[in-house]
Amino acid sequence: MDDLKTQSLDPVTFEVLKNSFITSVDQMAERMLRTCYSFVIYNRDFSNGLHDAEGNSVAQGNQDIAVHVGTLHYTCKDVLRYFEGEMLPGDVYAINDPYAGGTHFSDVRLVRPIFDDDALIGFSQSNGHWSDLGGTVPGSFDVMSREMFGEAVRITPVRLFHGGRFCRDVADLIANNTRDPASIIGDIHSQAQATQVAERDVLRLVRKYGRDQVTQGMAEVQDYVERAMRQRIAALPDGTWETVDYIDRDLSQGEGMIPIRIKMTIKGDEILFDFEGSHPTIASMYNSAPGATFSAVVAGTKTFFPDLPLNSGFYRAISVKAPPGSIVAAEWPTAVTGFLMPFEKIMNAIFEMWSQIMPERAIACAFNLEYLLCGGRDLRKPEKPMFMFYEWLPGGWGGRNGKDGSDTTTACFGTGLMSQPNEGNERVNPTRTERFDILRDSAGPGKWRGGAGVQKTSTLLQSDSAVMSYICDRERAVVWGVEGGLPSIPHGLTLTPAETGEDVWLGSVFSNYTVKTGDVFARPTAGGGGFGDPLERDPERVLVDVIDDYVSIRRAALDYGVVIREVDADLCAFEVDEAATEAARAEIRANRVAWARSEPAEVAARYQAGEIDAMDVLRRYAVILDWNTGELLPKTTAQFRESFEKRTVAHWPEAAAA
Amino acid sequence: MKTTRVAVDVGGTFTDICIMDETSGAIRIEKIASTPDDPMQAIMDGIGQAEVDLSDVSMFSHGTTVATNALITRRLPRAAMVCTEGFRDVVEIRRANKEDLWDTYKDVAKPYIARRDRLTVRERVDADGKVLVELNEDDARRVAEVLRKRGVASIAVCFMNSYVNGENEQKMAAILKAAMPEVAVSISSQVMPEIFEHERFSTTMANAVVAPVVVSYVDRLGQKLAEGGYDRDLLLLHTGGGVMTPSSVKDFSARLAGSGIAAGAIASRYIAGLCGYQNSIGFDMGGTSTDVSLVYEGEPRITKDWYVEYGYPIRFPSIEVLTIGAGGGSMAWKDEGGSLRNGPQSAGAVPGPACYGQGGETATNTDANVVLGRLGTSLAGGKITLDAAKAEAAVRETVAEPFGMELHEAAEAVVQVANANMANAVRLLSIARGYDPRDFALVAFGGAGALHGAAVARELSIPTVIVPPNPGVTSALGCLLVDVQHDYSDNFMADAGSTDPADMEAAFAAIEAEAAERLAHEGVAPGDMVLQRTVEMMYAGQWRSLGVNAPAKIDNVGDLIDAFHAEHAREYNFRRDDAPVSIFRVAVKATGVVPKADLPSSEPRPHTPEPTGTRPAWFEGEKCDAALYWRDDLSAGASFDGPAVVEQFDSTIVVPPGSTAEVDRYANLLIRMKG
Repeated sequence: MDDLKTQSLDPVTFEVLKNSFITSVDQMAERMLRTCYSFVIYNRDFSNGLHDAEGNSVAQGNQDIAVHVGTLHYTCKDVLRYFEGEMLPGDVYAINDPYAGGTHFSDVRLVRPIFDDDALIGFSQSNGHWSDLGGTVPGSFDVMSREMFGEAVRITPVRLFHGGRFCRDVADLIANNTRDPASIIGDIHSQAQATQVAERDVLRLVRKYGRDQVTQGMAEVQDYVERAMRQRIAALPDGTWETVDYIDRDLSQGEGMIPIRIKMTIKGDEILFDFEGSHPTIASMYNSAPGATFSAVVAGTKTFFPDLPLNSGFYRAISVKAPPGSIVAAEWPTAVTGFLMPFEKIMNAIFEMWSQIMPERAIACAFNLEYLLCGGRDLRKPEKPMFMFYEWLPGGWGGRNGKDGSDTTTACFGTGLMSQPNEGNERVNPTRTERFDILRDSAGPGKWRGGAGVQKTSTLLQSDSAVMSYICDRERAVVWGVEGGLPSIPHGLTLTPAETGEDVWLGSVFSNYTVKTGDVFARPTAGGGGFGDPLERDPERVLVDVIDDYVSIRRAALDYGVVIREVDADLCAFEVDEAATEAARAEIRANRVAWARSEPAEVAARYQAGEIDAMDVLRRYAVILDWNTGELLPKTTAQFRESFEKRTVAHWPEAAAA
Repeated sequence: MKTTRVAVDVGGTFTDICIMDETSGAIRIEKIASTPDDPMQAIMDGIGQAEVDLSDVSMFSHGTTVATNALITRRLPRAAMVCTEGFRDVVEIRRANKEDLWDTYKDVAKPYIARRDRLTVRERVDADGKVLVELNEDDARRVAEVLRKRGVASIAVCFMNSYVNGENEQKMAAILKAAMPEVAVSISSQVMPEIFEHERFSTTMANAVVAPVVVSYVDRLGQKLAEGGYDRDLLLLHTGGGVMTPSSVKDFSARLAGSGIAAGAIASRYIAGLCGYQNSIGFDMGGTSTDVSLVYEGEPRITKDWYVEYGYPIRFPSIEVLTIGAGGGSMAWKDEGGSLRNGPQSAGAVPGPACYGQGGETATNTDANVVLGRLGTSLAGGKITLDAAKAEAAVRETVAEPFGMELHEAAEAVVQVANANMANAVRLLSIARGYDPRDFALVAFGGAGALHGAAVARELSIPTVIVPPNPGVTSALGCLLVDVQHDYSDNFMADAGSTDPADMEAAFAAIEAEAAERLAHEGVAPGDMVLQRTVEMMYAGQWRSLGVNAPAKIDNVGDLIDAFHAEHAREYNFRRDDAPVSIFRVAVKATGVVPKADLPSSEPRPHTPEPTGTRPAWFEGEKCDAALYWRDDLSAGASFDGPAVVEQFDSTIVVPPGSTAEVDRYANLLIRMKG
């Protein structure tokens, strides 16, 4: 800590500048929310930043989406690298390049240099998820892409405004390569205006405090966060923690989950994350480039320092080592649009490691993000317009130390993101929602259960040439519990075609699947993983969950060993049978280690025979099947069991005793 | 002839009663400690103490915290919700986002109605309003029977797409009412007929849970007042900035949540108007927080993004008030990164600032102001004495020593950080929305508003600060200055360019008829009704609409489109003349004008008053002698230069060096900033 810089600004100027930088960024957010075109931005998939003249991040918005943290400075620096010496006041540049530190093509950043007279003093940056950037699939998410060429338009740094003049040619070139040119032009204006709001505010500060004080302030707010972060890390014990989490599979290979390994080392006041041993890139878009991986590390870590502001000072205490060409360090032209899949694995793995260091903030695994894209022609309207919908659902977060998990919450990659109203969806797209409610028994059982997931079922109305893609994961690498807690449920979409009326399990990843009028599509989101031994859960809590229908009477007995009888459902009257509960818990305790180690093939056979269901297979026997055929996945099961032994079985008292 | 008007504002600590004599315009103030367990107690005691003869009262208006408190404390009767099958969890799923993005241990609270009490029935309406599934009456009767057995006090009926067709909701409500005539039923298509199920259901839920609480309170208060001889309608202030009568309260109970906040904003608008300012910023600074509101061209800024608890929107149009955790009691501290912070922690009432001598040891804004000589040590006409030595010790220990500063430098640092934070809040409400603060006057009120108002104005380049005659009871004055007001709206989704003005007229006519009927029901004579139309528009493809005032007769939609382009350019700094414009909604603000009594005034006589003395005070590192004035001694036309401090019973006004103060005909004190 010897090299920590001390502050030279007086305390008042420093504090005022620090808060004013954040206010300027919050003003950008306010502006964007009110003028945006992309419904993804409207639902808060955006972020804004203020940077110093080197592109380092000075301040980020208070309500910005988690997934963009730790990436804005990379794109700002890339713009600076490209245009250095050619920039003018009134210029605005665009970039969406994941290979230069961006996240994915959909996140387009507009960067404005801020000049005081002719001196460049900083940048403002506005990052928004545009509704479409071209490519083979509406919404620009082609799961099957192996390289970027079919994915979307890659924007390396370009000029969109030149000295205040709108570069219509460049903007149109970008817009005309997308499915939604009018909205793209609208969002360019919206974001360019947002960056101007911050420019105006910074120049006001320059007039009041002088250029040198303001640029000094930009440097010192980074030092300030770095100082606070390093002090906290230094106060923690040195040590090394490691874990592994998985992506379900490589679509071009046989079964077997794809490991992401992380070793975290705290030494002095620094943290190193080493991804040695992680799998090479895979044959889908579920890869992450280094910038996005850094972002996942920052987001996971920041969760354990929720009160510290975010800027480059925070990042300086963190370093990342990842083998080039691995799934967490993909290089051009590997497809990386689905980077959020590795992203959330990294986040949850980091949650697990920090949970051991800070048990008071411990948390089990959260559900995995999922999104559904469907496009075609809307035959409800005479002009048969194209429709394109894109929706994501909330799910459950992991159980916590002394607290159940958070129910029905946005995926952890983007806690600021809002889910979309069904009434809006029904008005704009030829779909009708049949059901959108909390899914009973979706939460991972534990002393503190995971949060509950949801179930959404919809019908496709009059349409033509409609195709559907689903981007999801943890159908096999199912959401895990910790400290003896149990997994929740597998992800996956079920289609019921109008023609046959028979359910087809399409799973958690598919692309351009043809769907027709009257087809019904249904998907659950997983609950969070359980925290602690479910046999230690207070039966009264299980009773309340049954009364509120988060947990069925049947699974209360199977998962928690709590036997509940209905007295009068009309009056919400249920009661715990204490003697039967004691017996049930004793029986589970006596057998559960053996169940979790029983022959997987026999488990698969009993599932196929209809004797046990998927929740039994997962929670009791720790076996992963092909949920469509019921066929055993031996390699995947072996990987899953390794995790289950470590995170769950090892924490049961009887396993420890044996 | 009845000649007295009474306005009561119930706050957390005090209940303020403002009594006005209509003939002279004279105003009396009565302040009494609030009685949170039964707010009526303080009201009736205060009226007794003020010797008000209720039979002589021509108007009794009331800002109440009953609804807000019931929602905050969740002391709510058991309520239920009946939903479309498959949609019982809309209010629990919400929009799935969290208030605190990073703290995984902070959750959004559960909905006001528990999951077990949210039941479903088979029914369905599509997005065009077509009934796909008729209400299943067996389901409906079964639900009614279950809820009757559970003894719920109130029920919300919330069906999908009911904003286009509320038929099934109506049928459901009729079955519930037949089974349980005494139970309150809130119907989403009546309470808030707007698209987006969570926002509509949540508003309806809030309405349902507070209805029994509010209705019983209003009934009891009305009865007490009637017993005392008051024979007109009790007027209740709502968040929209108007009042309603008890006959509307049961339908729109949740509009009373936040009623107190609106009162301050209404008063500040009125006062700014008296001083000739159509644009003003209300700056209401109290002990723990500051409320900022904005009036542009005479109209308060309205928002529909409003809630008592995060995640549960109450979508009635409400006066937009930004509250920040900065007040007289906000504490200064040095954080782990070494920065000087101010708030949001507050010393509160206990122990209070160090200078209160009740054991507080951390420097607060109040302590810093005492050290700087801006706040005297004798307040409330000598009733309260502050301990300057304790203030100094606290500033020294919390700020001066840790930062290596001189005492007065440290005190000034504390105040400067507080002022800059408050100025940032004003920026978010003004500059971020396209307003230039230089076109505004700042109305400073609340216990601490006038201490900081001039400095905040300077920070924002606002040229004028207005301090009303009784800054500490301005909100009660706001309750006195209101009209009956209701807001109606309807979705009208269309491409503006091809919209037939006749269709818009028809849409307006429908909601105007409803609005006029409501006003008539409240006893408003047709001649006193004012209907103001708004059309909400956006560029096709945008997600947020912008309201544009519309004329009483629409001949030409093109004028509205022009107005929209202009408004978009003003608010967001860009316009797209070539882009198609969409219409989203039509809305009507229906006002029943209540005749206002004039505030007392006297002809200004320009003069320079004699100060009562001087006191050492510190501004920008300089020590000076500030002239002292007692506000009651200042008459219309008095003017003097800063540095000066004006003291009065409920407030202290700082007139900094380089500014000038003058007293206008209504006894407002105007501070003109220089430079």
